[in-house]
Amino acid sequence: MSFREKSAWAMALVTGIAGLWYLNKLIVLAAGADATPAPLGLLLRYVIIIVIASVVAQVTLAVMAPGEAEVPADERERRVLARAGAQAGDVLAFGLLVSMGWFLFERDGNLLFHMAFFSLIMAQIVDYLLQAVRLRRGE
Amino acid sequence: MTRVPPITNRVRALREAHGDMSQAALGEAIGVTRHTIIAIEQGRYSPSLESAFRIARVFGIGVEDVFGWNPDGNA
Repeated sequence: MSFREKSAWAMALVTGIAGLWYLNKLIVLAAGADATPAPLGLLLRYVIIIVIASVVAQVTLAVMAPGEAEVPADERERRVLARAGAQAGDVLAFGLLVSMGWFLFERDGNLLFHMAFFSLIMAQIVDYLLQAVRLRRGE
Repeated sequence: MTRVPPITNRVRALREAHGDMSQAALGEAIGVTRHTIIAIEQGRYSPSLESAFRIARVFGIGVEDVFGWNPDGNA
């Protein structure tokens, strides 16, 4: 398994677990109040968790394969990364369209924020998963 | 279903004929990873024109002696 593939799997795992944690906290918050304002503390904790977990994962992988970690992506890997990024962009656009459509009917700005932010998280997870799967398949 | 490129190649055979050159060594010579050489040899990835020329130059032959066209592949 190449360094870039390991990195993609690790980042998919990190963003997936952090996304589930964020969603769980949000559901708990929403259950306790009718209107849930955008919780800045929760957002900050999510960002800090993502940054620290990403750094730990990348450093661990780099220490395990120092030679590979320094090599820039080659033409096949760049194509995989570009295609995954484009399709993740589609996921983000779809999520944002649904969020905005929902807002037209519900008029709930907090819900719009949370749906848009969750779309961002989902797009990131899809990006890493597509990278990992395509690198595995050797496309 | 995995798409099989219609481009065939003799990279593996040429590598073995050139002193059993390793995939990593060929990858380093043309500026790609060992995993990309594996993908090329297995026909799952068609290299760029530039990489195709680089591979041919490593073996000292023409591009058409390394790569071919399979009309039955998934174009």
